[in-house]
Amino acid sequence: MTGTPPAALVVTSSTPLWYTTRATGLVAMVLLTAAMATGLLTSVRFEHRNWPRFVTLGLHRNLSLLALAFTVLHVLTTVLDNFVSIPLVDAFVPFIGTYRPFWLGLGAIAFDLMLALIGTSLVRTRMRLRSWRLVHWTAYACWPVAVIHGLGTGTDTPVRWVLALTAACVLVIVVLTLWRLALSWPQRPGWVTAGIVLVVLAVVAGGAWLRAGPLAPNWNIRSGTHTSQSRTVSGTSARTTK
Amino acid sequence: MTAEHVRASAGAGQSPDSGDLRLIVRDQPMSLPAHVAHYGPAPQNAAQPAALITEIERAGLTGRGGGAFPTGRKFRAVAAENSGRRSPVVVANGSESEPASSKDAVLLSHSPHLVLDGIALAAESVGAARAYLCVGSRGNLARSVGAAIAERDQAGLATPPIEIISRPDGYLAGQETALVSMLNGGLPVPTLVPPRPSDKGVRRQPTLVLNVETLAHVALIARYGAVWFRSVGSDAAPGSALVTVTGAVDRPGVREIPLGTALGEVLRRSGLNSPAQAVLTGGYFGSWLPLPAALGVPVSAPGLRAAGGSLGAGVLAVLPDTACGLAETARVTGYLAGQIAAQCGPCRNGMPALAEAMNRIAFGQPDADIIRWAHQLTDLVTGRGACHLPDGAAGLVTSALEVFAADLRAHAQAGPCERARRPAILPIPARNYR
Amino acid sequence: MSQGRDDRAAARAPREFELRVNPIRCDAHGVCIELLPELITADPWGYPRVRPGPVPLRLLALARRAVTDCPTLAIALAERAADQPEAGHSRVRPDS
Repeated sequence: MTGTPPAALVVTSSTPLWYTTRATGLVAMVLLTAAMATGLLTSVRFEHRNWPRFVTLGLHRNLSLLALAFTVLHVLTTVLDNFVSIPLVDAFVPFIGTYRPFWLGLGAIAFDLMLALIGTSLVRTRMRLRSWRLVHWTAYACWPVAVIHGLGTGTDTPVRWVLALTAACVLVIVVLTLWRLALSWPQRPGWVTAGIVLVVLAVVAGGAWLRAGPLAPNWNIRSGTHTSQSRTVSGTSARTTK
Repeated sequence: MTAEHVRASAGAGQSPDSGDLRLIVRDQPMSLPAHVAHYGPAPQNAAQPAALITEIERAGLTGRGGGAFPTGRKFRAVAAENSGRRSPVVVANGSESEPASSKDAVLLSHSPHLVLDGIALAAESVGAARAYLCVGSRGNLARSVGAAIAERDQAGLATPPIEIISRPDGYLAGQETALVSMLNGGLPVPTLVPPRPSDKGVRRQPTLVLNVETLAHVALIARYGAVWFRSVGSDAAPGSALVTVTGAVDRPGVREIPLGTALGEVLRRSGLNSPAQAVLTGGYFGSWLPLPAALGVPVSAPGLRAAGGSLGAGVLAVLPDTACGLAETARVTGYLAGQIAAQCGPCRNGMPALAEAMNRIAFGQPDADIIRWAHQLTDLVTGRGACHLPDGAAGLVTSALEVFAADLRAHAQAGPCERARRPAILPIPARNYR
Repeated sequence: MSQGRDDRAAARAPREFELRVNPIRCDAHGVCIELLPELITADPWGYPRVRPGPVPLRLLALARRAVTDCPTLAIALAERAADQPEAGHSRVRPDS
């Protein structure tokens, strides 16, 4: 083959991967939300005549594994997509990349935490219960970090249904977290109050950041995307990055 | 405190001439010179430390703290773990948290050097470099035992360093694993077994926990041998033991008896006075035996167990006809329910329920439902906790409902008897642990 | 001679397991009771009562799941000695 391929071809050949990255990212977020939700349901001891606890636990395990699988796909397609250079190491080590380093780095953190959460759970019976618990507490950090990563790096953040989907996920987790906190109220009212305040602050701060950041103009540039990394795609269904 | 002379079979030749008393031979505390004059010096076992273990096994000594576990086996377990890299620990348990028992306190105040000899010999035979002695809060034992240790230091007796610990309040604080947990800096509550203290105890080292009376017997076996030890008692239960006799007797207190002596003989020597209806054997985790039916039962671990009682901590509390056995049992059960560690669900839920049920039975008018519920509770709490406190309470209640069946029927028909309102015979410590 | 035969027979015998609850860790989540109703029943307060004896082979997989699923890791599978009698509950006395 001689000659440089036309620019349109370059863009088009990376488009399937790029779409896959975005899609798997969204699906992973939904799955991670479902995994987190079933985990919270376990901790509040939810059960019903038709919904025994082992169902919640089984779902929690399977949804976590699925979330990890889709996250791995998401990482792989991002790395393989050579329009923007994101080496594999950026998926594990946060903040060292060149493309939106902070927001991408959050993804690396969430990914690392997912690996730790699932890895320790696979050997749960062979490690000290206290250590496993400690690692599992980081789930409370993993999920919001993943969501912020999605909102910060996500091309589709301004899309209405994507916003709605994210809002729904946040609502589910916030409600379940408040439920979980409420259970501990008799024993530890201080911690519970602090937790509620934290949740409310996080939602408010998140919303404010969303309005001022990804949903405001030029987020692209403010988040650290170089002009060479921006891409435009033709087509009625496609949108230009802002 | 008098030590009663009890008839026994012939003693061996080498033993000191104190009649049949072995453990407590004087009315007042024995100083080190008096101790050495009476028993002779403690044997040095440096060359063959394991020889003592064999002798203890041959003597058939069993634990005197309540478990009646074969002492030789415990020694073996701890010694076997000592592959050189480990440093075993000896813990002498004189905590005596059983409210009705005072034998350990009396032994420690009157014959401290026997116990200290035992600790030294035990430490030598298992290779321990450190020992703890836990004393109860009654009297001033910590000081008197401390003085005895100082006496030995001055006399140059090669003992391992012994740290004296005062047991905190609480029925469970003297339990074997609770004691170890406390020595490890934790709460004085039982831990799950396995691992046993003989595998992993104080600072995760093999730990030999023995009742102080058991250690006193070890000191005697080391001097006079297994054959001498077995010269009193029975084949199934060799040797002598200390028992605490309380309740409706003229001369309550601690006395030493050859194991296997008939219960009636022991009580007669203590001056069984008023007509008695039952005797509580073992302690608050033991069980009732009816009188006069049980007068012929041999006082030993196997003997009492065969009759439905237990030797336990050596408590024999006689209940006069003027008291109500159900009321006494209800008070004890209430006490025990307040003493639980509350670590295990079945006990945390079941014990207060059992205490409540016994309360209704003793001080109310029980119907068939509450009696059935009490029986169910005894089954629900047995064998489902980390320690055996609920098992003991269940055994106590079951035996009470059986032995005092007539009272039970009377209460069911007409409410509590007037005897139930009498002051308590069995001592209940005033301040509850929780 | 017969000792050697006994040893070989013991080595060929299928390993037996039994379920043991750690009562201190158990918090009455009840997952094990749901998974193994044939072997584990709930007491009036939701705590598990395990039927004594070995776990039947056909339930072993579920038993393993109960062990890994227990939120507080309060149940475990322990290997039974081949000649172990049924774990009844004699009146046991506290330790020394």
